[in-house]
Amino acid sequence: MAAPPPIEKSLIQLNDVSKFYGEVLGVNKINLAIPPGITSLVGPNGSGKTTLMNLITGLLQPTRGSIEVCGMTPEDPETFFRNVGYCTQFDSYPKGFTGYDFVYSFLRLFGWDHAECEQRAWRAIDRVNLREAASRKIAGYSKGMRQRIRLAQAISHDPRVLILDEPLNGLDPLVRAETIALFREFSGEGRHVIISSHVLHEVDIISDQVILMSSGYIVAEGQIKGVRSEIEEHPMQVLIRCDRPQALASRIFESNNVVEAKVHGDGGGLLIKTRNADEFYLMMNRIAMNGIMVETVAPVDDDVQSLYEYLIDDGGGGGGSKS
Amino acid sequence: MNPVWLKQISAVLRLEIKKSFFARRGLWIYFLALIPVLIWGGHWMVMRYKAERMHTHAQASPGVTREKLLSIKQGMTTAEVEAILGHPASSRTVTRRNGTEFKYWTYSDGTTTRNITFRDGAVQRLNTEHAACDLQEDTVIFAGIFQFFYLRLAIFFGCMFVFMNLFRGEILDRSLHYYFLAPIRRDVLVVGKYLAGLVATTVIFCLSTIAQWTIFVLHFDPINRDAYLQQNNGFSHLLSYVGVTALACLGYGSVFLAAGILIRNPLITAATVLIWESINGILPAALRQISVIYYLKSLCPVEIPMQQGVPPPVALLAVNVDNAPPIVAVLGLLALSAAVVFISTRRIKRMEINYSTDN
Repeated sequence: MAAPPPIEKSLIQLNDVSKFYGEVLGVNKINLAIPPGITSLVGPNGSGKTTLMNLITGLLQPTRGSIEVCGMTPEDPETFFRNVGYCTQFDSYPKGFTGYDFVYSFLRLFGWDHAECEQRAWRAIDRVNLREAASRKIAGYSKGMRQRIRLAQAISHDPRVLILDEPLNGLDPLVRAETIALFREFSGEGRHVIISSHVLHEVDIISDQVILMSSGYIVAEGQIKGVRSEIEEHPMQVLIRCDRPQALASRIFESNNVVEAKVHGDGGGLLIKTRNADEFYLMMNRIAMNGIMVETVAPVDDDVQSLYEYLIDDGGGGGGSKS
Repeated sequence: MNPVWLKQISAVLRLEIKKSFFARRGLWIYFLALIPVLIWGGHWMVMRYKAERMHTHAQASPGVTREKLLSIKQGMTTAEVEAILGHPASSRTVTRRNGTEFKYWTYSDGTTTRNITFRDGAVQRLNTEHAACDLQEDTVIFAGIFQFFYLRLAIFFGCMFVFMNLFRGEILDRSLHYYFLAPIRRDVLVVGKYLAGLVATTVIFCLSTIAQWTIFVLHFDPINRDAYLQQNNGFSHLLSYVGVTALACLGYGSVFLAAGILIRNPLITAATVLIWESINGILPAALRQISVIYYLKSLCPVEIPMQQGVPPPVALLAVNVDNAPPIVAVLGLLALSAAVVFISTRRIKRMEINYSTDN
């Protein structure tokens, strides 16, 4: 049996990393050692999550400090990107590409031959359940489909480290559950899965550990259980875009944890408040399968923002260690 | 077995060539490449029309010879002219309000046409047209269009669009990270993209050069055509023009590739390079060599003579400096391009993906 890699070769290490855009702070003095498993970077918009991910993957270069991903750096892209997959938030694609082209052409850049790229592309597309749409142009995809094809690209080369920037944005409840299962499968194989999210409730469901960011700094890091009780105290507000909001409202109170529901001002959605996000999403899966066309389910930022303020002011949420 | 970087370059070529050839925003490049073809095509058609008309006139006025045509002088009467040349091939009479009568008669021997204007029955004006082109003059005109329009504008702006788009276009489209997240060295990516741009521009512009030359040759009458091809080295001219076109794509391509990586604003870059290339003729010798046009002009097969009365801006472009020997010109251009591409490969390693500030 092969010996396990030395501990420093299995960590994502950031040593005193800072990034400034001229005078503007991106992130400052970040020190992290991230072990395998699902790690969530959480924080409000503008807190530096994407900057940190771009720094880890070499799309940005640190103004100060150093970064190593399992002993590799982006300065050696041939090794680094065979082991790292990054699903960015950039919602743009080479012109005229179908979903299949997008994944296949990316794999050709690895230097693999046609047969291998084709096989890997279809495998990745199947894992995100997009086979039927794979031959259609990406320009005609919905937001959720575009998110999934980016995810397929990120996992297509079977990376050891998977980095995902807001990967659940725009996904319907069913796909959301499947995607979370995929992350769990990856982390179960001893890989790194780093997910950014501004939705604490989402993180609660999927993460082994959380890094809480605010204004470019890490304000807390640790086990997820520490923030769970705080979340339960603060009902989460969710906007559900669907074809029949009134019908959905009549079904939504099946859950004891839903405390409020109102039809959105434009009549095309329903705003609800729930104390148990996990249970709520499971219920949404059932509803989506029973005749109501659910387009998107997205937490409303204002509420999340107030929860961050609460957690950050309170010193990082229970069990997390303040950095 | 191919090394991985070769397979990666071929993957980049596969992606980029399609974009370079068929970019909807770049269709005007085909129009630029087509303009000289249209000019020579138009000229050819005009010459054919003139030749056909002369032939018709010659048939309508039999017995007319070149000597007889040239013997007509001002002041001759209609009767005298008719006595020498016979009945005109075509005629028209116009009487003005003041009673003055003008007659317009045309005669042709098939190669030369004389249009004679009579005023009140006497030859007032004579105009002579020849069916055959002036070989010498047309060769210089071809060289002029090639140097002043094709090299300095069509290829220049065509390369600017294609090569600046390789990186700057992707930044504007927010799609460059697609490459930067693949296990491909960035210098290999630069070379792959550069080759893709080079293939696209070389094919488009060299095909246009060949088409221009072909029409140029076809528009001559058989005698002049033989003279051009056999005595005036017509085929070696073609080789030179195609070579200069390919080298222009190579040189300007490298400059605009680097500009797309180093500089954000393409308009400032284009204006700066255009001015630098335009004033090349009046620069000191050392500076003159840091330009693409210096080497290209040295390789052009036909010198354009400077004539008096040429407007200053055109004169600036046409200044004939001490040309470099062909081998020096080719090697100089290759060295310049290699140096610029090398700088690009160094710079790209430090490039960051930060679309919001790059726009």
